Amino acid sequence: MRGPAVYRALLWCYPAEFRHEYGSQMEGAFAEELRDARARDGRLAQAAIWVRALTDLPSTALREHWHVIRQDLRHAGRLLVASPGFTSVAVLSLALGIGANTAIFSLLNSLLMNRLPVRNPHELVMLTNPGSRGVGRGMQQGERSLATYEEFRQLQENGGFASLMAASSSLQRADARVGGDESEPLAVRLVSTSYFTTLGVPAAVGRTFEARREPSAGDTPVAVVSHEFWQRRFAGRADVVGRPIAFRGGIVTIVGVAPASFLGETVGERPDVWVPLAMQAAVLPGRDWLHDEPGSVEKLMWLHVFGRLAPGATHESAQASANVTFQQGLAAYYGSIGDAAIRARYRDQRLTVRDAATGASALRTAFSEPLWVLLGAAGLVLLIACANLGNLLLARTTARGHEMAVRLALGAGRTRLVRQLLAESACLAVAGGLAGLVLARTLRDGLLYLVADPTITLPSALDLRTLAFVLALTLVVGLVLGLLPALRITGARPAIGLREGRGVAGSAAWLGVGKLVVIGQLALSLPLLVGAGLLVRTLMNLERIDLGYSSENLVTVRLDADTAGYDSQRQMAAFEALATRLRAVPGVRAATYSYNGLFGGIDNGDRLTVEGYRSTDGTTAASRYDAVAPGYFSTLGIPVLIGREITDQDQTSRRMVCVVNESFARRFFKGRNPLGLHVTTHYAEMSRTYEVVGVVRDSRQASLRDQVETRFYTSMARSAAREDGRVTGATFIIRQQGDGPVLAEARRVIQRIEPNMPIMGASALSDAVGRRMVQDRLLAQLSIAFGVIAVVLAALGLYGVLSYGIARRTTEIGIRKALGAQHATLMAMIARETGWLVLAGFAVGGALSVAAVRLISSRLYGVSPGDPVTFAAAVAALAGVAAMATWLPARRTTRVDALVAIRYD
Amino acid sequence: MARRSPTDEVDSFLPLPTAVFHILVALADRDRHGYSIMQDVDARTGGKVRLSPGTLYTAIRRMLEQGVIEELHDSPDPESADERRRYYRLTRLGRDVAVAEARRFSELLGHARATRLIPRKLQ
Repeated sequence: MRGPAVYRALLWCYPAEFRHEYGSQMEGAFAEELRDARARDGRLAQAAIWVRALTDLPSTALREHWHVIRQDLRHAGRLLVASPGFTSVAVLSLALGIGANTAIFSLLNSLLMNRLPVRNPHELVMLTNPGSRGVGRGMQQGERSLATYEEFRQLQENGGFASLMAASSSLQRADARVGGDESEPLAVRLVSTSYFTTLGVPAAVGRTFEARREPSAGDTPVAVVSHEFWQRRFAGRADVVGRPIAFRGGIVTIVGVAPASFLGETVGERPDVWVPLAMQAAVLPGRDWLHDEPGSVEKLMWLHVFGRLAPGATHESAQASANVTFQQGLAAYYGSIGDAAIRARYRDQRLTVRDAATGASALRTAFSEPLWVLLGAAGLVLLIACANLGNLLLARTTARGHEMAVRLALGAGRTRLVRQLLAESACLAVAGGLAGLVLARTLRDGLLYLVADPTITLPSALDLRTLAFVLALTLVVGLVLGLLPALRITGARPAIGLREGRGVAGSAAWLGVGKLVVIGQLALSLPLLVGAGLLVRTLMNLERIDLGYSSENLVTVRLDADTAGYDSQRQMAAFEALATRLRAVPGVRAATYSYNGLFGGIDNGDRLTVEGYRSTDGTTAASRYDAVAPGYFSTLGIPVLIGREITDQDQTSRRMVCVVNESFARRFFKGRNPLGLHVTTHYAEMSRTYEVVGVVRDSRQASLRDQVETRFYTSMARSAAREDGRVTGATFIIRQQGDGPVLAEARRVIQRIEPNMPIMGASALSDAVGRRMVQDRLLAQLSIAFGVIAVVLAALGLYGVLSYGIARRTTEIGIRKALGAQHATLMAMIARETGWLVLAGFAVGGALSVAAVRLISSRLYGVSPGDPVTFAAAVAALAGVAAMATWLPARRTTRVDALVAIRYD
Repeated sequence: MARRSPTDEVDSFLPLPTAVFHILVALADRDRHGYSIMQDVDARTGGKVRLSPGTLYTAIRRMLEQGVIEELHDSPDPESADERRRYYRLTRLGRDVAVAEARRFSELLGHARATRLIPRKLQ
């Protein structure tokens, strides 16, 4: 008798319905089979029967379960199609919520998590800082961000890596003629010949560079073009190999095309062409970035260095080995410095070996924090939307309480009913998830558009990780949506459901849960509103920052003064001639120039000694500096507080003078009159002493958020930068009347008068400053959008719950009206009850807000995380919306007919 | 959407799973309960096809939904003392489907004989 009992236990693998229907028959048949087998053939036959039963159990049980699931899904689909209004609102809400989360996640994925499309990206390492880019001239203490060409060559010789490559840390824009056509600007990445072999990227057409130890310009006039460039300029033709690209300084020949998926080692940048480092002078004539100047302590740091570890090497061993070579190079380079202390300071530099599977990216530092904040906000909005839908589903299932009660009374299993309800929410979630996936692409493009930098190129959005994210989100949403209503309704007692007429089973309980959900929604909306308010105020504060001069109608044009090869005198004459000519352009009110320019990403600083100043905290005195034209301050409108500004005489006089800003005077002269005192700059063993002739008001030329730094200004001709007084560049700053096409005319004038000084960039100052606020603008715009959506959803939720509650109390309201209650009294009663809901929501929301604003405190400017005005405004806005959501259903009490209400029970 | 002809409806069941065909054949000569079907299939195929209770009843559930068999309310054997047994009968549709499947097998045999793959009388 044990056999059938065991078989009975195995039948639990089948769905409950099937078991109830056929279980006893199956058990009976099995028992008879065993009995006959025992009587006829003995134990062996019985064993065969058990084997047969056990082997077909998994497949038949699974088939039955799948049959039940298909039934549930078909039933759920029919129910959803039968209520198109509800279904479309639900799917749309989920699509927006899931789509927004997916769009933001996919950007984070591209920036932070995506590995480079190279061979074994997990084996790649970097010896420079992935977040750095640009060209730095000078020295850098501590951890080195970028490398020089000579340092890269030394590291290659080192033998501590299986392979090593170098790439320019920023794209170079260079004019070139492609295949004999008109000149056009190309985005060029200068790379070592070991670039493609180290990354393990084969050519899609032709070949890549052959890795050589000692390349020279003579034998490397080759180039590899990007797949997109090949499609765009050559229409994907195979005869691209062998075509020439003529740069200003030389011609290279295309030898291959990179694969379509390869955009380079830097995320967000898309080069048109890769050219060997040895061809740098051809691409950027007049500049030598491959050799440091003999005798100069300045190094030109501009390269990223990537590599693959030698077999058996670890990060630590590779780093140690690389630093030995690096230090040897530094010792040789700075060996000529006589002063031992200075020499030691210059040698205090080191390399760090890092994982480089995700490549280099300056975007990462700029955007990863804002994106995480936005993902959090989008997640909250999705949660609020799910709460609304959960409430709606709860209402639907409660309305079907009578049906459920009948089915339960007739013997339907609760599990089966829960499964049916879950199938409904799963259908909604899947439909929402699929629609969200489609929407995500558009939303992601919208996000990139908001960032408004057309040069940012990120690889395609949909990869496995993003798909997995969407799937996980959809599953969680489906569960959250379905479980609560399912458990609620099947927990109700059937007798109540059968008995209640107009009221439905568990409706009081539903109302209770519904109210809790609304409190939760209000609580989640408040932090979103507060955060949005703080971020908007931050943006407004940044936009209103006092730069120290009027930024209206200011345009800047940056020139490369190095290429022309002029000496210091000729440079100054050229700048003055250009300034004079620019002032004569129609629409120009004033024109001046400086070395750093304004918000052009260029700045300089030096250690210095200030007469009469002794540091109290042991730190060495240092300051930012700039070299400016005569009349610079009056042209910009920066007031001179005492003394005078730089004049024409200072360009040629042997007396070296400087003007300092307020912060400098406060820090280094503390109450003393600085006029006539001296400031000495120190750069390696070179020192220059300037006499202070004036103090100007603080102004901003490089950063928006940080405190204004100490700064001193010298004449351009007496720049502290180089011993021979030459400068590598100059930025012309033009104030125009109104907003006419002065910039275009200015460019023409400059190109006509000084064609040897190429224009490196030109823009309105407002654009340059605006670019500094891209992340803040993104955060402010999107957080407002999320805040508004959250409030609307919470209001809808409140409205829904209140409407239902009032509908449920129609009889009670009718009785009250029959007994003489006025509309005002009834509305006050409802407002009082709602008020508790809203207050509870605000209380929880307030606590959440205090915690949440700490997460964004680093992004705030000019407003504290606990700013009471912002909190009060958010509470007031939410209260206003809640009041509206309450008033509309409350008004319906005025339409309740007492007699009708009492009659209907 | 055009209505399906009876032939189309029968053809939509083909080819039949092995278990389903044997259950239809077992019910062709008389109404049976579950274990009786299992015994008949075992005996007729000489033990080559043995239906376990799981295979049998999942097939029965599907065949009831498809309408090729039906359950009897009363036992066809008035002498039977066991009222727990449930009896099944072939429906008209079920009979047509079984015949169509048998015809399909016959056609397959004909093709095999035509190319002399098998002799006219298969031993």
